[in-house]
Amino acid sequence: MSENGRTETIRSIDEINEKIRKGDAVVLTAEEMIKLVESSGVEVAAKEVDVVTSGTFGAMCSSGVFLNFGHSDPPIKMTQCWLNDVPVYKGIAAVDGYLGATVLSETLGFEYGGGHVIEDLVSGKEVELRAESYGTDCYPRRHIETTITIDDLNQAVLLNPRNCYQRYDAATNSTDRVLYTYMGTLLPNYGNITFSGAGQLNPLCKDPNYETLGIGTRIFLGGGIGYIIGEGTQHNPSAGFGTLMVKGDLKQMSSRYLRGSSFYRYGVSLYVGVGIPIPILNEGIALTTAAKDEDIFVSVKDYGVPSRPDLRPSIKKVSYADLRSGKVEIKDKDVPSSPLSSYKMAIEISEVLKEWIQEGRFLLTAPVEKLSKQSVVKPLKIMKKEPKVSEIMRTNVITAYPDDLVKEVAKKLVEKGIDHLPVVDDARKLVGIVTSWDLARALAIDKKRLEEIMTKKVITVFQNESIDVVARKMARHNISGVPVVDKENHVIGILTTDDISKKLVGGRTTI
Amino acid sequence: MIVRLTYSPEVVEKPVLAEIILKTGVPINILEAKVNAQKGELVVSIPAKEKTLEQILRFFKEAGVTAQKFTQILQIDFNKCTSCGACISPCPTRALRFTPDWTLEFDEEKCVACRTCVNACPVKAITVP
Ligand code: SF4
Ligand code: SF4
Repeated sequence: MSENGRTETIRSIDEINEKIRKGDAVVLTAEEMIKLVESSGVEVAAKEVDVVTSGTFGAMCSSGVFLNFGHSDPPIKMTQCWLNDVPVYKGIAAVDGYLGATVLSETLGFEYGGGHVIEDLVSGKEVELRAESYGTDCYPRRHIETTITIDDLNQAVLLNPRNCYQRYDAATNSTDRVLYTYMGTLLPNYGNITFSGAGQLNPLCKDPNYETLGIGTRIFLGGGIGYIIGEGTQHNPSAGFGTLMVKGDLKQMSSRYLRGSSFYRYGVSLYVGVGIPIPILNEGIALTTAAKDEDIFVSVKDYGVPSRPDLRPSIKKVSYADLRSGKVEIKDKDVPSSPLSSYKMAIEISEVLKEWIQEGRFLLTAPVEKLSKQSVVKPLKIMKKEPKVSEIMRTNVITAYPDDLVKEVAKKLVEKGIDHLPVVDDARKLVGIVTSWDLARALAIDKKRLEEIMTKKVITVFQNESIDVVARKMARHNISGVPVVDKENHVIGILTTDDISKKLVGGRTTI
Repeated sequence: MIVRLTYSPEVVEKPVLAEIILKTGVPINILEAKVNAQKGELVVSIPAKEKTLEQILRFFKEAGVTAQKFTQILQIDFNKCTSCGACISPCPTRALRFTPDWTLEFDEEKCVACRTCVNACPVKAITVP
């Protein structure tokens, strides 16, 4: 975005570091820079300011820590390992492991996981270590159980494959039930909107052309010092969704900026605080560091549609200013919006980093290699097609009418050996459903006609829905069969849990 | 304001609540009810302030119903809270909001004790005592 004349170098990183050493560097937080550019213009701001500090504090699932436990005597080649019952990845050397933020505890489930262990380690708490092995000539030990603290570890390196999303689409929910997602609690019928990201304080939004960011950039990470070690996974700069891979020494970090978290009925994660200094090398960079919430746009996505994130319908384009205002209009209704990431903590991080630089404790580095500006994100290629309802449903559906006699229908069910009977009107539109159990009960209490006993609020599915999604729906409603209908509610098939398991045996055993 | 009403055996069958709603025009909302022939206990939310609220509480007293204010419906541990905001938009009554400096703020008067926020908080900073 550097316009003509704005790319001319004003100062180098070496010159900035010289000033930092002398205690002369002019450092502003991103919020302060926005105000300065507003009041005095970008030219003045670019001349006066050496560094702008950014910050973000949000749940960053792609985080984790490399640990080295040290050798016991006799030694063990750990093949499986747990910290506080949370499994640690052991596919590397004997006493090295990687603990991911999203692993669930084997005993506490959603309540506790990798993110919490990381927080406990950083806080200096004792953590239970358990490990198993098959035993070898050189590593005879097969079992170990002990408690450790972070001080007992040789290394604890936070290494996060994807942090610091430049921006992130907001979430809402069109369905008629509450959804519990990684975007938090989403109320039915567009009941609320949640969003993530620091917007005008976000590091990548402050240098969207990645002029100063790349491998080797020194940053604030979790309250300690860290480094950008490359672009993050799913880095998508062409769409404005850049990400970072970062690392830092966990032993220097603080639990104020690394917080284990649980998203209700979704899973666990780690809130990570990241702050990045942006050197004002030219006017173009001064301008981008002054970008405001109003200038940063995302879509509001409907999480009611269980598709790939990029295929979820976009309801509306909004700016971070809209989202932060607390309400966004959807379908003529004011929908409350709130963030999942803490703006307050993001401000704090940008202020702490500013202080470090002003006190001469933190020098800037030039990247050895800049972040890619081209890469794109591909979806997972699935060779084996996801089965759809249409491939498994039965189309020779036996149906009944509301005024059919219970007795006759019961006979029909027994003869055909089926359990679910959709009830339709003359136009074959679905009006109800009865199961063999309903019929048995109806006979016992002497009801005559189907309409007296049928369930009128029927759970239905469409033929192009994925079997996994439908299976979840059936489990949720605790039902074993659903009519398949078209857009006009005509019955075109029926699908039972039996059909699903029979058809999928051999291919996949679990659904 | 959330209030716990305890009905003594003498008044448990009288429509005290309905009468007070009619008299004051305040739509008192029942959140929880435990009533049997001997004793009744209701937890209600009274959407009123100051004078009207005092008046309603007086009416209950006169009718022989003990009204006890819930002084603490939710406990928010501000040492844990990061002011992320994840609890704000799921709250049906707007009882949770940000101060101008983006700190979480809780308006107890508006809270109806639905507990949606308890589950929505990623760091378990909100509990029901
Ligand atoms: S309990 Fe319900 S009403 Fe009270 S603050 Fe929490 S979400 Fe809002
Ligand atoms: S969700 Fe929890 S941490 Fe976030 S603002 Fe609410 S109480 Fe605080």
